[in-house]
Amino acid sequence: MKILIVEDEKELLKSMVAYLKGENYVCEAASDYKTARQKIETYNYDCILLDVTLPDGNGLGLLRELKQEKKTDGVIVISAKNSIQDRIKGLNLGADDYLTKPFHLSELNARISAVIRRRHFQGHKILVFNEITIDLAAKVVSVNNKAIDLTRKEYDLLLYLAYNKNRVISKNAIAEHLSGDEAEIFDNFDFIYTHMKNLKKKLQQAGSKEYIRSIYGMGYKFDV
Amino acid sequence: MKLLNKTIRSYLVYSFIILLVTVPLFYFVVRSVLLRATDHSLKTQLADIRSNLSSIHSQDELITWSRLDKDISLAPATRAFRDHIYTTYRQNRRRGDQDPYREISGVIEVEGNLYEIIIRSSLVENEDLLGSIVLVQTILLVLLMAGILWINQKISKNIWKPFYNTLNKIQKYELNKSANIDLPASTINEFNELNKALRNLFNRNYEIYLQQKEFTENAAHEMQTPLAIFQSKLDLLMQTQSLTEDQAELIHDLESTNRRLIRLNKSLLLLAKIENGQFPVNEEVNIAQLTQKIIDQSKFHADQYSISIKSGSEDPSIIKANSSMLEIMVGNLVSNAVRHNRRGGQVQVDIHQNTLRISNTGVESPLPDKVFDRFHKLSNGTEMGEGTGLGLAIVSKICSIYHYTLGYRYENKQHAFTVAF
Repeated sequence: MKILIVEDEKELLKSMVAYLKGENYVCEAASDYKTARQKIETYNYDCILLDVTLPDGNGLGLLRELKQEKKTDGVIVISAKNSIQDRIKGLNLGADDYLTKPFHLSELNARISAVIRRRHFQGHKILVFNEITIDLAAKVVSVNNKAIDLTRKEYDLLLYLAYNKNRVISKNAIAEHLSGDEAEIFDNFDFIYTHMKNLKKKLQQAGSKEYIRSIYGMGYKFDV
Repeated sequence: MKLLNKTIRSYLVYSFIILLVTVPLFYFVVRSVLLRATDHSLKTQLADIRSNLSSIHSQDELITWSRLDKDISLAPATRAFRDHIYTTYRQNRRRGDQDPYREISGVIEVEGNLYEIIIRSSLVENEDLLGSIVLVQTILLVLLMAGILWINQKISKNIWKPFYNTLNKIQKYELNKSANIDLPASTINEFNELNKALRNLFNRNYEIYLQQKEFTENAAHEMQTPLAIFQSKLDLLMQTQSLTEDQAELIHDLESTNRRLIRLNKSLLLLAKIENGQFPVNEEVNIAQLTQKIIDQSKFHADQYSISIKSGSEDPSIIKANSSMLEIMVGNLVSNAVRHNRRGGQVQVDIHQNTLRISNTGVESPLPDKVFDRFHKLSNGTEMGEGTGLGLAIVSKICSIYHYTLGYRYENKQHAFTVAF
């Protein structure tokens, strides 16, 4: 899988590359509009991470060009602005997703996985981890081919862990992912314990091994 | 006291004193002049009589003569005395009341006999005259003063009109609305200079306001990137192998702190955005529906601490506003009600007659007035979470933009915030 990261902030770029490399993605980086444009014209990417504010242009301009050339690369717009208008503008221009700075790398990774999966595995949207199977289309999780009954939040939680498998995900990242808009309202994330506890219980009851590990109260890891 | 009244009051007092002094003074002066004239005429009459006495040769003749004139009375005198003049009152036969008279009494000698002669002159006409003169005088004075006062007031009003115009404009001026203050030119130099000085002052203020506003927004914006970098490095640090428990805990603490910074920064940005009027789209919002949505979102969080959220709303109230702004406003109020609550407490949300009322249990004392100020935090948070100190400031800002009335009350051991749309 090839990913292009268009981001002018060197340190952030470094972090993104470092995290995504661990997912076995081939990452290329462009830190300005010109470089990004050359790369986009020359190669095809599975996903392009596009920063809106570039030193020599607007990232949305690149998106527009991309769509004019009828390229099918997946695009995630990354912006420092958390404004609904910008979000709508980005999505209207054909972006697959929109992410606001600052973000957790695990969140970025989950979004990239989702975009790539949507584009490449049509008709085969299934994730398998040993005895656990996640059917993305039907939103059904089964253990040893037996479907288990998960709530919406528990399903989201498992999927988030699965996308970031073998990575430590902080509690904050999980909480923000699960609560979405509520995260803006509440900053206390005790509630994820309940979800985590229920998810683990349901998986184990269905005969799954214990894959979800707590890492010293810092976060969780889906070890497969 | 108003400026106009102040100047006019001095004139009024002065005029009143003058009126009070001049009218009696005038009365006495005119009266004494009239009396002197009467006395003079009486003396002349007496002198005339004395000089004409040589033509009277008998006592009978004298009496006959004296009877002809009712203003003269004659009586035998025993001894001679000096002429004297005095005022006396006599019965008026027709009307029956007392009329004032001026009388001169003297002694004359006819044929070797002494007679006391009294010549009198009625003062009734004098008094009438005096009355008329004083009346006319008073009316004139009153008219004069009233006229002066009236003219003065009119002129003053005209002169001070630009001042009042300016005052009115300043009172209505809102710094965040516009830079220019429209102060009309005046024919009076001092007022023009005042207006000029004010305009300069307002322009400077507005510039500083803009700079400050811009600074807040820029600063908050610039912070986003380092915060994002910091967050990403922490995420990477977490992935490093063989972390000890202590290190993991430190990373967790760092992450929580960073999250707080991020939230604070977001709130600052939001405040700046609201101040800059960046939420212009007005749409029809069903406030009851919106509130219910937020309550549903908050329920899970509240349930963790056995805090019950009850809601009751009447008819669906439609409000024209920006729905994100309303969501932020209601969200902040509801989350505050949960955050500053206690285990097993209650939150009651009502919409009644276009007023949103959110009340909650919590600390058992009323909150200080400063609660709507920026960074005024009640406590360092509860187990239900910690605020940024900006939540109510944001609510207050949104309310001021839409001209909603935001209120706080502490009653029945409940903290109640109300927003009247």
